[in-house]
Amino acid sequence: MKLSFLRSLSAVLAAAVVSGCASYGVKQPSGVAAREMKPDERGFVSGTGIESQDIVAVTDKMARGIMGIPEIANAQTAPRIVVLPVQNDTRFPINKNIFLEEIMALLNERSGGKVRFLARDRMAELEKERDLKRSGQVTSSTDVSVNKFKGADYMLTGKLVGQTTRTSAGTSDYILYSFELINPDTSEIIWNGSHRIKKQGQDDAVYR
Amino acid sequence: MKAVLCASLLGGLLLIIPTGCATDSDYSSLRLTGDPIADSRVAIERGPKRDRVLWEYRAGLAYMRKGQFEEAKRLLDDAILSIGGIKTADSDSRKARGYFHSESKKTFLGEPYERVMAFYYRGILYWMDGEPDNARACFRSAQIEDSDNENKTYSADYVLLDYLDGLATAKLAGDGSDADKRARKLDKTGSLPACDPKANVLIFLDFGQGPHKFATGEYGQELRFGEGNQRVRNALVTVDNQSVRAPAFDDLYFQAITRGGRVMDHILGNKAVFKETTAIAGMGAIVGGAVLLQNRGTREVGAGLLALGVLSEVVSAATTPEADIRAWDNLPQYLSFVALTASPGQHTMRIDFQDAYGDAVEGLSKTITLNIPVGSRDSIIYISDQSTSF
Repeated sequence: MKLSFLRSLSAVLAAAVVSGCASYGVKQPSGVAAREMKPDERGFVSGTGIESQDIVAVTDKMARGIMGIPEIANAQTAPRIVVLPVQNDTRFPINKNIFLEEIMALLNERSGGKVRFLARDRMAELEKERDLKRSGQVTSSTDVSVNKFKGADYMLTGKLVGQTTRTSAGTSDYILYSFELINPDTSEIIWNGSHRIKKQGQDDAVYR
Repeated sequence: MKAVLCASLLGGLLLIIPTGCATDSDYSSLRLTGDPIADSRVAIERGPKRDRVLWEYRAGLAYMRKGQFEEAKRLLDDAILSIGGIKTADSDSRKARGYFHSESKKTFLGEPYERVMAFYYRGILYWMDGEPDNARACFRSAQIEDSDNENKTYSADYVLLDYLDGLATAKLAGDGSDADKRARKLDKTGSLPACDPKANVLIFLDFGQGPHKFATGEYGQELRFGEGNQRVRNALVTVDNQSVRAPAFDDLYFQAITRGGRVMDHILGNKAVFKETTAIAGMGAIVGGAVLLQNRGTREVGAGLLALGVLSEVVSAATTPEADIRAWDNLPQYLSFVALTASPGQHTMRIDFQDAYGDAVEGLSKTITLNIPVGSRDSIIYISDQSTSF
């Protein structure tokens, strides 16, 4: 009786140790296959920084805001807009073009031609092409001797400002996204839109 | 007799099982040369995935010292993807918290001073690319990495990170005075350059051998840091016959040892207690079992006790409280910085790395031709005493 008890005990203990050193408690031991996600969807890879769902939420709100102002909505001729680089005043390095590129794309999609953007970031290439036309080296469908690059009716720019708190309880990041549409002739800010996002989290104990 | 056999079998089985659990690949099949760039290629491709960030750190810095900044950027960007977010539980971190896997089974992200340096170097590279705001973001993230200290006296106390935050802000037409004040309060040298937004030549210097890690305690459960052998203590930057002394504003060894206790240290401490307790209990059970085995009436109970003792010893042997001593081993110890204003055109710059007596250390001086462009973009120079190209 005692011997069979000992055998059972041995088997249970051995099973416990075996299960203890296998993949017990490990989620997705084989990893997670790549899958397509919506840009506004919060994925399983996330932190307290600037993520795709934030970019989508912010740019969507800004594009709707710009479309709603009388200077754009009621304009007789399509206003011309130049985009200026976004200033990053957070602790997260970002691709600064992505916000304005996204807003430009949304405005172009939704405005039905009510706004035009000027390609100031391509000035060197544009000047080269114009010079080729003026010199007669390449053809032109218009009179290049009188053509001029268009000036901007409005300038669109933005700023990201962040505030971080880190304690033993975790990390908290608050980011204010603000964008402005400025009349360069008067320096008047004709529209200002903002969006706020706060995120918190705590690292695994092995990294603390 | 059967009981003794059963106990022995159980003991043998349990001795085999823990060793059979180690399935992670290691470096035994890899030919490492000691060159961080060559080794990182091999290790990232075929080494343990948990060490990927470690190799990216080492190779990223080695590329910076060779003047191959695009390569450094690629590696540091990948490393920052791992260290920049919230580091939640994955299978490796769960293992590292368990009794039967060592801390080095976790994905390496480094101690705070190592994570700080990844952001610091990436910040330099952003500034080189004409993005001082993203550089500032990196310096701020670096300072945040240093803000979770046990002793708040040493929290977020890198002089240069606050100074560079202030300088970048001033250059972006903002008010960098708060960050600049914090930096000057932390600075013990009194030689921090003025926060001058017109300074257009920014020279980032580092020198000395960074801290190394070792483990102490009965089971190696206590992480400790050692100071490298330091010959270089200062630098002297000379541009067109005008010299500026560049003292060490930040000391990575000081940063490493002032971090204080980690949460992981408590986990390792618990593992050590568990290891010791199971070893003592196991030995007690084995001795007790052996005594009981001598008596016919208590032989079977003695065998059971013996088996439990063996099991307890096996569990103790399999418990791994060793601290993780993987380290970014090519870091410098000291960080310095010089800001100059130079007219557009060609200038000759000489950098001498000096010992504690102010004498130039032989073989480490560098001479660079600076081409200052016309316009508002800053010229960013990164030089280490170990740089071979600029």
